[in-house]
Amino acid sequence: MFRGLFGNFRWGVLPVPGRVIAVVFFVIIFVLPLITDDRSTLHMITLASIFAIFAVSWDVLSGYTGQVNFGHALFFGVGAYSSGLLYRFLGWDPAVTVPLGALIAALAGVVTCLPALRLRGPYLSLLTLAFPLLLAEIVRAIPPEIAGGYVGITGLPRLAATPMGRYYLCVVIMLVAVLVMWKLTDAGSKYVRTGLIFHAVREDEIAARATGINTIRYKILAFAIGGFFGGIAGALYAHLLTVAGPGTLGIMMSFQAIIWVIFGGIVSIYGAVVGVFTLYPLVELLRGTPVHDYRFLIMALMVIIILLFMPEGIAVRIRDKIERQCPRCKLSNASWRRQCRACSADLRYVADS
Amino acid sequence: MAAFFEVENLTKRFGGLVAVDNVSFSIERDEIVGLIGPNGSGKTTLVRCIIGILSPTSGRVRFKGQDITHWRPWKVVQAGLAGTFQVVKPFRRLPVIANVMVGCLCPRITRRGEWVKSTPVKARDALEFVGIMDRALEPAANLSHGDLKRLEVARAISTEPELLILDEPFGGLNPAETDLVAKSMKRLHKGGRFGRLHSEGPAMLIIEHKLSDLMKIVDKVLVLNYGQLIAYGPPEEVVKDPAVIEAYTGKEVPIA
Repeated sequence: MFRGLFGNFRWGVLPVPGRVIAVVFFVIIFVLPLITDDRSTLHMITLASIFAIFAVSWDVLSGYTGQVNFGHALFFGVGAYSSGLLYRFLGWDPAVTVPLGALIAALAGVVTCLPALRLRGPYLSLLTLAFPLLLAEIVRAIPPEIAGGYVGITGLPRLAATPMGRYYLCVVIMLVAVLVMWKLTDAGSKYVRTGLIFHAVREDEIAARATGINTIRYKILAFAIGGFFGGIAGALYAHLLTVAGPGTLGIMMSFQAIIWVIFGGIVSIYGAVVGVFTLYPLVELLRGTPVHDYRFLIMALMVIIILLFMPEGIAVRIRDKIERQCPRCKLSNASWRRQCRACSADLRYVADS
Repeated sequence: MAAFFEVENLTKRFGGLVAVDNVSFSIERDEIVGLIGPNGSGKTTLVRCIIGILSPTSGRVRFKGQDITHWRPWKVVQAGLAGTFQVVKPFRRLPVIANVMVGCLCPRITRRGEWVKSTPVKARDALEFVGIMDRALEPAANLSHGDLKRLEVARAISTEPELLILDEPFGGLNPAETDLVAKSMKRLHKGGRFGRLHSEGPAMLIIEHKLSDLMKIVDKVLVLNYGQLIAYGPPEEVVKDPAVIEAYTGKEVPIA
């Protein structure tokens, strides 16, 4: 088995620069706490992994399935608040409240979906924009003894006792969640059909219906998946900061996810991860420096530059630069190779995509 | 014994406009039926009502003894009735082969135990059948209009229908290609296996404007005009029908 794994690594990963970068990235993330003891760095990466789950779940719902959601914070907030309420009234452990919170957020996704099924395009986006704002107002209106009012539900238990424990927990959950979502949306998968169907629903819903796809079922499924993983992120966030506040339902939260994903590259799981791990640490590292007050301006400028010059997203553009698909066997090759590594087709004159 | 496929008093109104007016006809299991009529006579609306994209105002559609009026489109496909679109609706950013694989994923196929693994092979055979296999890996947006028409047909037959409704399958094809597609329709109608692609030998309902090509392959012809059925019968009788001639060429007015 180890021999097979090593073979996979040697022939499947090493010749493809994009995969090498992904492996190096995760290795760095895993050994980082052994190198540095800096609490703020660890905290930053922990939060970035939580936001990566959140951004990727937005990408699955809006990028892959085409149901552009401007209120993804709803799932984040529902995850945070339901795990907080479960702790406050039932006293359960984070190990129970996080999955339960995610399930409740998935349910919230299905409920949102019901009025949203009849709408598409900008109308759907505007409707979804309203949901988290409504919920935030409701939370503020409920007596603070129940839902915490303006402050939020405070005093939640921590995910783990040490910063390193929290770090590894969040990174591993991020890795697993991203892998699951990647597999669910993989259009070339031999075992899961949701990937291809999500693409079909995005491209042309009526055509998908006439081809025998129950589009309503798959749209509900997409909302449930988006809600579930958005809810995991929200519940982890609440337990990490020990407070589930109305900020988790804010407009900023919804649009940050969109900005991260579009910066990295929409309709690509890795693009969302790259977007989060570039923009979020950037803003955090500028905290306390002389440009502290302008850090969001700098982020906005970067996003504008990326949108102007690489509208497909920075990660997708870089991948296109360093990898090239063999025209014959569709295998990824490093762009500096002259021949395909599997079928030795000539790659020198293949146009850049 | 109920007919294989039956449309009974089907009416579709858009506000004050009656697009399909009280149309009744039936198709037998082994027939190829043409549906013709001047522009705007309600052919496409009739087909859209049948396959569930539009909901008819009144009337019934029966298929294999089931009442499929007002069924959702995917349930209609599930029952074994597939249609193509006049204005092509490919999944533009997906490769051509992925377009057909979506058809192979419909529950009608997968429920029989063929799992997702076999879909690429089957999709390739469907593309081979309509003759655009050489462009399988390009995005569908790169295809010419004629090829997109054939892609529509490939996507429809990949759901293995028992009644296939084609909306202008020859649109945008040159005479040689038209001949090719007409022949492959005939082959499909005979049934059997084309590689992994299984054909039930579907009955067909074909909307077409190229009458000379259509008349060669059909057993019967339906003629619509202003939403009303004005003739139904074998092609050689229909072309002699004075009502049909009037619908196409207008009435002879004596010059005073």
